[in-house]
Amino acid sequence: MNFDLDQEHLDLADGARDFLSGSASPAAARAALDEGAGLLPGRAELIKSGYATITVPESAGGGGGTVLQLAVVAEQAGRVLAGPSTVTFARAAVLLESDPDRLAGLADGSLVVAVIDGDGPVLDAVGAGTFLALRDGTLVCGPGRVTARRPIDATRGLGDVTLGDTIDLVRDARPLWRTAERVGRTILAAEGLGAAARLLEMGVEYAKQRHTFGRPIGSYQAVKHMLVDVYVAVEQLRSLVWWAAWAADRAPGELPLASAAAKAAAATTLELAAETVIQVHGGIGYTWEHDAHLYWRRAKTDRFLLGDDVAAFDEVARLAMGEAAR
Amino acid sequence: MRMDFDDTPDEAAWRTEVRSFLDRHAPGPDQPRAWQATLYDAGFVGVTWPVEAGGRGGTPMQQAIVDQETARRGLPPLINLIGIGMCGPTVIVHGSERQRQRYLKRLLRADDLWCQLFSEPAAGSDLAALRTRAVRDGDGWRVSGQKVWTTLAHLADFGILLTRTDPDVPKHRGLTMFVVDMKAPGVTVRPLRQMNGDAHFNEVFFDDVRIPDDERLGDVGDGWRVALTTLMSERLSLGGGGTSIGPKPEAVARHVARHIGALPEDRRALARQELGRGYVAALGARYTGYRQLSRLNRGELPGPEASAGKLSGTRSARDLTDLAVRVLGPDAATGDDGEWQNMQAMLPGMAIAGGSDQVLRNIIGERVLGLPAEPRADKGVTFRESLG
Repeated sequence: MNFDLDQEHLDLADGARDFLSGSASPAAARAALDEGAGLLPGRAELIKSGYATITVPESAGGGGGTVLQLAVVAEQAGRVLAGPSTVTFARAAVLLESDPDRLAGLADGSLVVAVIDGDGPVLDAVGAGTFLALRDGTLVCGPGRVTARRPIDATRGLGDVTLGDTIDLVRDARPLWRTAERVGRTILAAEGLGAAARLLEMGVEYAKQRHTFGRPIGSYQAVKHMLVDVYVAVEQLRSLVWWAAWAADRAPGELPLASAAAKAAAATTLELAAETVIQVHGGIGYTWEHDAHLYWRRAKTDRFLLGDDVAAFDEVARLAMGEAAR
Repeated sequence: MRMDFDDTPDEAAWRTEVRSFLDRHAPGPDQPRAWQATLYDAGFVGVTWPVEAGGRGGTPMQQAIVDQETARRGLPPLINLIGIGMCGPTVIVHGSERQRQRYLKRLLRADDLWCQLFSEPAAGSDLAALRTRAVRDGDGWRVSGQKVWTTLAHLADFGILLTRTDPDVPKHRGLTMFVVDMKAPGVTVRPLRQMNGDAHFNEVFFDDVRIPDDERLGDVGDGWRVALTTLMSERLSLGGGGTSIGPKPEAVARHVARHIGALPEDRRALARQELGRGYVAALGARYTGYRQLSRLNRGELPGPEASAGKLSGTRSARDLTDLAVRVLGPDAATGDDGEWQNMQAMLPGMAIAGGSDQVLRNIIGERVLGLPAEPRADKGVTFRESLG
């Protein structure tokens, strides 16, 4: 057994961090909220970088890489609140796996796609032209009319979609749909990991600098212990994300439990991290100028994407009891 | 090296060896010492210890496989767990050649049982404030004082004993470690009854107990550094390597699955939420332990981040056990169900033993996150002055 990233992954993370921290930022997330500014790095740049389409086969113009590689990239995207989401690319790559033409469109950017979940608003709908949906067990594809929703986190591009005329892509697509959803949950959790890890850094940094009663606030156990609880949660989330991504690549039987666990842990961890770090900052953490609320907004939005945390915990429990009954 | 949860060919061969041995040798439940000796003679105790120390010179992964396979069969921990996890590693690093020859192999075979004499009534989390005195007496030492919460002292043949040899220097600098013969004149052991009714830990009184100087572990005044070896080893044996603290989450899931049908509808959804939350936390701790084990297996030393496993494992164990008790329904308020009621009464101790949750948070906060230390009122003063 070896449960750690290898050097190739670490190099990939470095490269992705350079690209994403140079092309996206919390400031851009704030501008999207303030002025409706476009998302950064944006779809075109994400595609051009090759990072978003890592899991698209090389034959279709993608990177031919693994879900674990995409998770490593997604963590870096989460750190800087990049948009649109790597989740959308991850899911589309699974759903279109037997459709070389559309897959090539995903990889070259000509197919601007979003994936419709149930009745809720659709992730990355704003700006998308083609939509994938499950209708009576069939994977369908078609244009749609998007009504943008008032955002909590503008980087998620949530909108209601009214589908136009669709064509059927895959019949009996429920298993495929579920797999795509689980890969999507894994990548969503990886973005959450990056956001939570970045929050922890902000909180620790501030707790070292800020003094009250003649000493740094990080020396007080009341503050220190809050940050430690975030650290522990972040490291456990990291373990669950890597496990789920590995399962997606190598052990499909473990993917349902691992992806539900990662999704649930990401929802609770990112929320804990955001609320803790606002608290550690005091008044300045509650201002519009500070970055903390942009991550808090991400937390308050993401927890409801691809099923909420309550559904994910329920799924974990059902799977665990099902395993136990065998 | 690629990420992979499967055994390597070497690990798989080792696992087969362990399994086939365990299949052939079911332990006698009432003979824990004989069982440990049998396991040792087969090469499955002290796997990571150096060959010179009586061990096998194996890898942390091999030891983890032994732990996994014994846990899978529901076998109890080895009787000399404190010796293997804490005392032995301390003797390996700081003991003399004579001590290593005399003690280590017998410890691994449970020919001698060992205990760890650190905590005192006035020194628990603040261990360096301990008061048990060791005073020079010719070519040896005389020890007087009291230790407490000493697991296995009532059965132990030897212990590692942390004492104060110089009260006129700051508290961390005046300590010295010894190996003490628990059968020596002047050693009195009084079992303490725990809140769960068991009596696994003890008070130990030292009344002018003589210890030869060649039973010293490390230099005079260097006891704190020696104790850190012990505590670092303890970290590894508690909540490390992906083993569970308290109940296995799978066992809780099985138990809940059996009882959930009898619950009212609204309680079923609630029980699933609680199971899901506890299970995710337990999986998070388990897989974080696997990461730690992988680093150890590459030869890295156990760092302060290993404390996170015990901290979170204790929490999820309490949450899962609480659910397991709750689904007993009307019986939950009684002690009739042995298994889960016992577990429930055991777990508060886990949040204290081997570093309380609060001390572990200080360690992680200061040594992993780099946050500044809490100011200390006894800093820069001698131990004697700190007593006021």
